[in-house]
Amino acid sequence: MIEVESLAKSFVSGFGRRRQVVTAVEDLSFSAADGSITALLGPNGAGKTTALRVLSTLMPADRGRVRVAGIDVAADPAAAREHIGMLSDARGLYGRLSARENIAYFARLRRVPPREFEQRLAHLAHLLDMEALLARPTAGFSSGERMKVALARALIHDPQHLILDEPTNGLDVMSTRALRRLLLALRDRRKCVLFSTHIMQEVDALCDRIVVVARGRSVAQGSAAELRARTGCASLEDAFVQLALAPG
Amino acid sequence: MVFVTVLRKELVDALRDRRSWIIAIVVSLLSGPVVFTLIANFVGGIEERAAAREVLMVEPARAPTLVNFLSRAGATVLPAPAEPEAALRSGRLQSAVVVPPPDFETRWQRGEAVTLTVLFDDSHDRVQPLLATTLSLLRAFGRESGTLRLIALGVSPQVLAPVAIEEHNLAPAQARGARLLFIVPWAALLVAVFGALPVAIDLSAGERERGSLEPLLMNPVGVAGVVLGKWALVMLYSTAIVVLTLAGFLVSMRLVANETLSALMHLQWRELAVFAAVLLPFAALMAAANLLAATFGRSFKEAQTYVSYLAMSVQFAALVPVFLTARDALWQLFVPSVAQLTVLMKVLRGEPIAAVDLLAPALVCALGTALALLLQARLLRRESVLFARS
Repeated sequence: MIEVESLAKSFVSGFGRRRQVVTAVEDLSFSAADGSITALLGPNGAGKTTALRVLSTLMPADRGRVRVAGIDVAADPAAAREHIGMLSDARGLYGRLSARENIAYFARLRRVPPREFEQRLAHLAHLLDMEALLARPTAGFSSGERMKVALARALIHDPQHLILDEPTNGLDVMSTRALRRLLLALRDRRKCVLFSTHIMQEVDALCDRIVVVARGRSVAQGSAAELRARTGCASLEDAFVQLALAPG
Repeated sequence: MVFVTVLRKELVDALRDRRSWIIAIVVSLLSGPVVFTLIANFVGGIEERAAAREVLMVEPARAPTLVNFLSRAGATVLPAPAEPEAALRSGRLQSAVVVPPPDFETRWQRGEAVTLTVLFDDSHDRVQPLLATTLSLLRAFGRESGTLRLIALGVSPQVLAPVAIEEHNLAPAQARGARLLFIVPWAALLVAVFGALPVAIDLSAGERERGSLEPLLMNPVGVAGVVLGKWALVMLYSTAIVVLTLAGFLVSMRLVANETLSALMHLQWRELAVFAAVLLPFAALMAAANLLAATFGRSFKEAQTYVSYLAMSVQFAALVPVFLTARDALWQLFVPSVAQLTVLMKVLRGEPIAAVDLLAPALVCALGTALALLLQARLLRRESVLFARS
């Protein structure tokens, strides 16, 4: 379970007269339940990535509170990280290491016992259809192949919560399908999946719950059907545009 | 343990980068032979020519008496090339040229004083020993002629030499020429600075540029363990390169070096062990400093800029003791790179090394290393470093 209350985060750049404050997240509140897939749906620059970085403990919030598995991420980030798998937009791999070695490195850092590592790797490789990739050095992998390795790396410690930032960016149909399959399998195992996106199709096909984010605020929450009903729109896209553009 | 896991991964990663480490090994193994061959040639060339006692003279036929004296003194008189001034200035001719006046012989026979001009350009290093030989031969000629004339007049030659001068050079045998030999510790120092530079950049700025730093720090591990593991790998790489370079020095000292060079500097197992003891703490400091400087870089290229400025300042600082008039002041031991060169020069000159010579620089390096690692760990916790990618 991920709970976010009145989250705010701004960035300061420059000094003196050149000092500029950019507010990325102004007031964001939502929750993502176990056994469901939740989407943060918002236009570019809405503050989705910043919010996910705060949630995954990589960045402290200015205000508000985030709890992952009941743990306050500001109070005990290390404990919260044990329960989080994160696929950010930084999906860098070590090109001279094989896909297996890339994943094994993170497994060791997370103290995953070797036998469990083998079992989980086999399972993830099967779900992501990447058995043939495991022994190859990752230099020269396609973006779909890189995503699969990065995702397996984020899940190798079997976290209860998976946070993904725009996971289908740059992926072809086959890779997108593999990803969907995996997310659905995780939901079936009562995991809490939260991802950010601006692609309606993805949200419609996958999500149990949608949080519409605009200008750093959560402007609406509910299932796709609920959002359509609330706005009186026939398509999710129209509903989204209406909600995102509504004067806040 | 995070430190061990990071070190192990980085070691595998670095070993797979075969091209880089093969180049590093070849360069470090070759630097010894190259430096020693150059110095040996240089020193050997001077020796040979000074030993040959060649005197260059414009038109030797003008001064048969002088030529006769020089031949008796064991010197070979060679005619100077045409336009000796130009040849000396350009460095084509690195020697001294004696110019007797056209009427040398007639005036000499008449018993008059004659002026001999000696042309040289001492901005060329090799000129000094040859000039000294030529001048001492000419002075001997003057002394002998004067003595003979006094005896002919019935005066004791001692009247003209009330003061006898004996020269005692106090420099130990190895210290002669050691001024030139700063190039040996300097080369060793540069290896410690530059050897592991590409690895340090790859491990810090490279990790940022690839976008693997963020996922790495997403693991529930302390930044300190990650920083230590990376530093340990750079240190390991540096150590290997320094040890290989010193091994190259030892082999070259045995193979390339001539006798003069062996007399000039002491460089055997014992000295090389002191070299290692001085260089390794320094390599540790450079590993940490390079990692820190490279962490500021958002890209490989940016990091290279910062790191090369750092390397350049270290390189120049190391040369400070070479130009100092006062030798081995205490402060020198507390400035990294100045300290290392100072102590290594002492070793080469065959001077005794006190405990403080090893401990003070090592302590400064250890403190500097700890500080750089701490700063790097703090830097990696900063949002601007973690998320800003080029």
